[in-house]
Amino acid sequence: MPTVDRRSFLAASAALGGLAISGLDVGAQTAPRRGGTLRVSVDQAVSKLNPLLTRVNPEYLVAELLYSGLTRLALDMSAEPDLAESWTNSADLLEWTFNLRKGVTFHDGSPCTAADVVASFEAILDAKTASPARQNVGPIAKIAAKDDSTVVFTLSAPFADLPVTLAYTNAKIVPAAVLKSGLEKLDREAVGTGPFKLVSFEPERQIVVTRNDAYYDKARPYLDRVVVVVYPDSTAEGSALIAGDTDLISTVPPTEFARISKASGVKGLRVASGQFCNVNFGCDQKPFNDVRVRQALALTVDRNAMVDFVTEGLGTVGNDVPLNSAYRFFADLPRKAPDLAKAKKLLADAGYPNGLEVTLIASDRPPLRTQLAVALREMAKPAGFTINVQTMPHATYLDQVWKKGSFYVGFYNMQPTADAIFALLYTSNAAWNETRWNNAGFDKLVNEARATVDEARRRDLYAQAQKLMHEEVPSIIPAFFDLLAAQRDWVEGYKLHPRGAVFRLDYVSLGAGAPKRG
Amino acid sequence: MSPAYVLKRIALICYTLFVVSLIVFAITQILPADAAVMLLGENATQEALAAVRERLGLDAPLWQQYLHWLGGVVQGDFGTSMRTGQPVGPALFEALGRSLLLALFSILLMLALALPLGIVAAIRRGRIADLVVGVISYIGVSLPEFVTATLLVLVLADWLQWLPATGYVPLTENFGRGLLHLVLPVLTVSLILIAHVSRMVRSELVDVLHTDYIRAARLKGLSNRTVLFKHGLRNALLPTITIVALDIGYLLGGVIVVEEIFALPGIGRQLIVAIQSRDLPSVQAGALIMATTYAIANFLADIAYAWLDRRIQYD
Amino acid sequence: MTETFRRMLRSPQGALGLLIVGLILLVVILGPALAPYNPDTMAPLQRYKPPSAQFWLGTDQYGRDILSRLLNGARATVVLALIATGLGTLAGAMIGTVSAYLGGRADEAIMRTIDAVMSIPSLLMALLIVNLLGKSSLNAVLAIAIAFTPGMARVTRSVALAVRKQDYVNAAIARGESAGFIVWREMLPNVVAPIIVEMTIRVAFAVMLFATLSFLGLGAQPPASEWGLMVAEARRFMHLSPWMILWPSLAVALVAIGFNLLGDGLRDVLNPRT
Repeated sequence: MPTVDRRSFLAASAALGGLAISGLDVGAQTAPRRGGTLRVSVDQAVSKLNPLLTRVNPEYLVAELLYSGLTRLALDMSAEPDLAESWTNSADLLEWTFNLRKGVTFHDGSPCTAADVVASFEAILDAKTASPARQNVGPIAKIAAKDDSTVVFTLSAPFADLPVTLAYTNAKIVPAAVLKSGLEKLDREAVGTGPFKLVSFEPERQIVVTRNDAYYDKARPYLDRVVVVVYPDSTAEGSALIAGDTDLISTVPPTEFARISKASGVKGLRVASGQFCNVNFGCDQKPFNDVRVRQALALTVDRNAMVDFVTEGLGTVGNDVPLNSAYRFFADLPRKAPDLAKAKKLLADAGYPNGLEVTLIASDRPPLRTQLAVALREMAKPAGFTINVQTMPHATYLDQVWKKGSFYVGFYNMQPTADAIFALLYTSNAAWNETRWNNAGFDKLVNEARATVDEARRRDLYAQAQKLMHEEVPSIIPAFFDLLAAQRDWVEGYKLHPRGAVFRLDYVSLGAGAPKRG
Repeated sequence: MSPAYVLKRIALICYTLFVVSLIVFAITQILPADAAVMLLGENATQEALAAVRERLGLDAPLWQQYLHWLGGVVQGDFGTSMRTGQPVGPALFEALGRSLLLALFSILLMLALALPLGIVAAIRRGRIADLVVGVISYIGVSLPEFVTATLLVLVLADWLQWLPATGYVPLTENFGRGLLHLVLPVLTVSLILIAHVSRMVRSELVDVLHTDYIRAARLKGLSNRTVLFKHGLRNALLPTITIVALDIGYLLGGVIVVEEIFALPGIGRQLIVAIQSRDLPSVQAGALIMATTYAIANFLADIAYAWLDRRIQYD
Repeated sequence: MTETFRRMLRSPQGALGLLIVGLILLVVILGPALAPYNPDTMAPLQRYKPPSAQFWLGTDQYGRDILSRLLNGARATVVLALIATGLGTLAGAMIGTVSAYLGGRADEAIMRTIDAVMSIPSLLMALLIVNLLGKSSLNAVLAIAIAFTPGMARVTRSVALAVRKQDYVNAAIARGESAGFIVWREMLPNVVAPIIVEMTIRVAFAVMLFATLSFLGLGAQPPASEWGLMVAEARRFMHLSPWMILWPSLAVALVAIGFNLLGDGLRDVLNPRT
């Protein structure tokens, strides 16, 4: 095969845009090189090893190396087979049957069967486990093993997205025997079916994994070893990549992106995503139970400036709807622009002709919550809003403000589907009903859409739901973040996933020029 | 330095540690956020919270929790981290090792620089050298660690690109690189020490050089050098030792900030992380270990003082 | 008083210290009036500007004028440190004087306990307390005051012990005055001068400690322009604009140097031996 210079090829394909990349890449790919150690850096400690309890992206990264789910999330947010080889559903979308891969074993050598899948999901759905997956895997009423390699999910409501939601970051399969003996064991050991096996685990420093030779896919993973290094300081993290100490940074903050991408031998990675920072209104409490107050504040926001302030220009404008063009069912509604006169009038109509004083709470993690709050404070000032920004430790925030407060800043990863983000945050029965908007019309649209298979009909329903949010503003969503990462040129096959919590490092290999590491 | 004195000092250390353990336990127990909420975060349901509280023994009366904790500590068991589920002790002691390495290098650099600077300033009192040393030590004493560190990073790492800005590489992994990463933290920590100690050496030496005892030695016709090194310096060093011992408490506090800035995974950084995430067992153990380190350092300084003092008297 | 002042001016340290502290106090009082811009006004098109004729010290991540923020932040930085020192000194002086008055076993017990408390580094102590109380400027002030108390108690006690032996105290005891009267009216006033010297030097520490707490995110909160907080915030943007981090760092350093010089000058004047 004629050799194409890899770098110019990548540059060319990147220029062709997202769709073209996946099409062209397959043709150009020579077989990935086997072997080598990849050093990937993360920006937070990997505190939780237990895959059912992981909560932050670095933990998801490690869990994904060690464990498998039934399905996994492809780059286009569709479900692809993982432990489940294939699946079928009943016409009413209430019963789903998953056929498992045969001959899969856990790292300790024991076979992974339907019983393990059933036990894992029962643990996830048990409130005592406190797994984040519980509210996110879909309306599962019952799960049963039909035989050793067939699992049947019975749902409490028709749901078209189940294969996608089953790929949730926490929905990993662990041995039934371990679950029986107590979950604590998984805090220190990893017994999964993932592409890698755990070698060592130091939460604050580094996690080492080695190739699982018994992985169900004979070709993958290509790497012999992955070392996950924790760099709580982004400057240090960037310098390590530039110096060649690490090969890949999983998340680069917007403020460091330009510096790191400019370095020689380094390539910045960027993908549009639905990750956003928002300002939540408690729609059940004064003053924000009045839709005019919410609309007034939304009209003060200069969204272009906000993209600059919170993403350094590496993001997209938000329209108070949690979807953007990175989502399949995004509806492009009229862009909101600041209109201070109208904002003042709405505020006066709502009974605050002399302005309104409110306290906006921002947790200190990540710091851009405060960044957003301070910017909003200034933008809203001319319209008569006096916003006092109050920051607090994340723990206190979760305890005292989150889901209860009347005015606070939220921060979310992109979800795989429109339904997932709506059901997570905005429906009346949302897992995290932050705004208590509780709009029956919205609920109805979302419920109908999740039971609809017809694409056009579904698109229409979701468009109506978005229009409703656009008008009623349960939360202000001023900006979406592009996801940013960086890698050395010698890293091959790494694709930045817009979900933010998915990494697929089993597809990565080290090309020519990579340093030899023991 | 009688055995009785040493015993009394050891008894005092025990009392100190007891008081510290009480304070630390009291402060951490009334932290505002519920530890169970912290542990479960976004996914805390009431059932899950109750289960965790029971598992952690958060339901027991405070004094029982204290005794339980203290009993564990005495046996070397510092409990289990709420954040990671790992035992607290080993991680903290490993971190303490890295901090002590930082402290050791800083003290060595301080000794290498502070003594000569102080001596030069004392001998050349009122002249340019004295002034320069004085200005340096003023700046050193007055800059908070985070300012020193910031300025050093700006100049040496960002503009000149001589040194890595932040981060930590274990010496066992790559000795050369590990040392390079230690340069800026060591400079930051030692600047304040150097400033402090060189001032102290200078002023003590100036005092000593004016005593009758030294004048007499000079009159006897001893050379300046002999007077300075045999008589002056030794007497001036005594109070300096006390200062260095006191500085160790300061050093430990400074280490917290320096480790945070340079992302050096020592005990100070562990403590900050533990405090921010409400990881009570780690906070308690970390604070206790720090206080113990300080108490022991003080104890050693006192012993050294007593020992040197006696030698001087017998001279 | 004027005599002290005159002698202060004669020592280079004292004169320089007076000058710097005087300037700082001027900025504390007049700062907001001197500021060329509103410290909170954002300018999306003027972000990360280097120093220029328009913005003397440049602009920050929101396009806010750094000079205006520094001038406005002087109050938060300096005044709160002064208050913290004052509170800590007051509490420490009370404890120290009482301990010296009581003497004997009580004195021994109090001092040993104070030694024990002092084995917790003051920054760590402040960190723990702020976390207990919740983070805010006010709580940081309290934390610093508490962290300073044992040290001041120790200093006061040693001074008060000397006073305790004085005739007028013995006379008061002989007159049968109450303990409260003796501590409050006879002993405290006579330990004040050395305490003031100690306090001036401690203000420098308080400024540093307060800025450090804010730097760690536990003191002043955004959008305040407290200098330690400004440094902390600027760290994230260090590679976009080094000016943002440079100026507030220098400002903190200048204040600490000023109070250190002043304290030393004062000590030389009031206590000529050292």
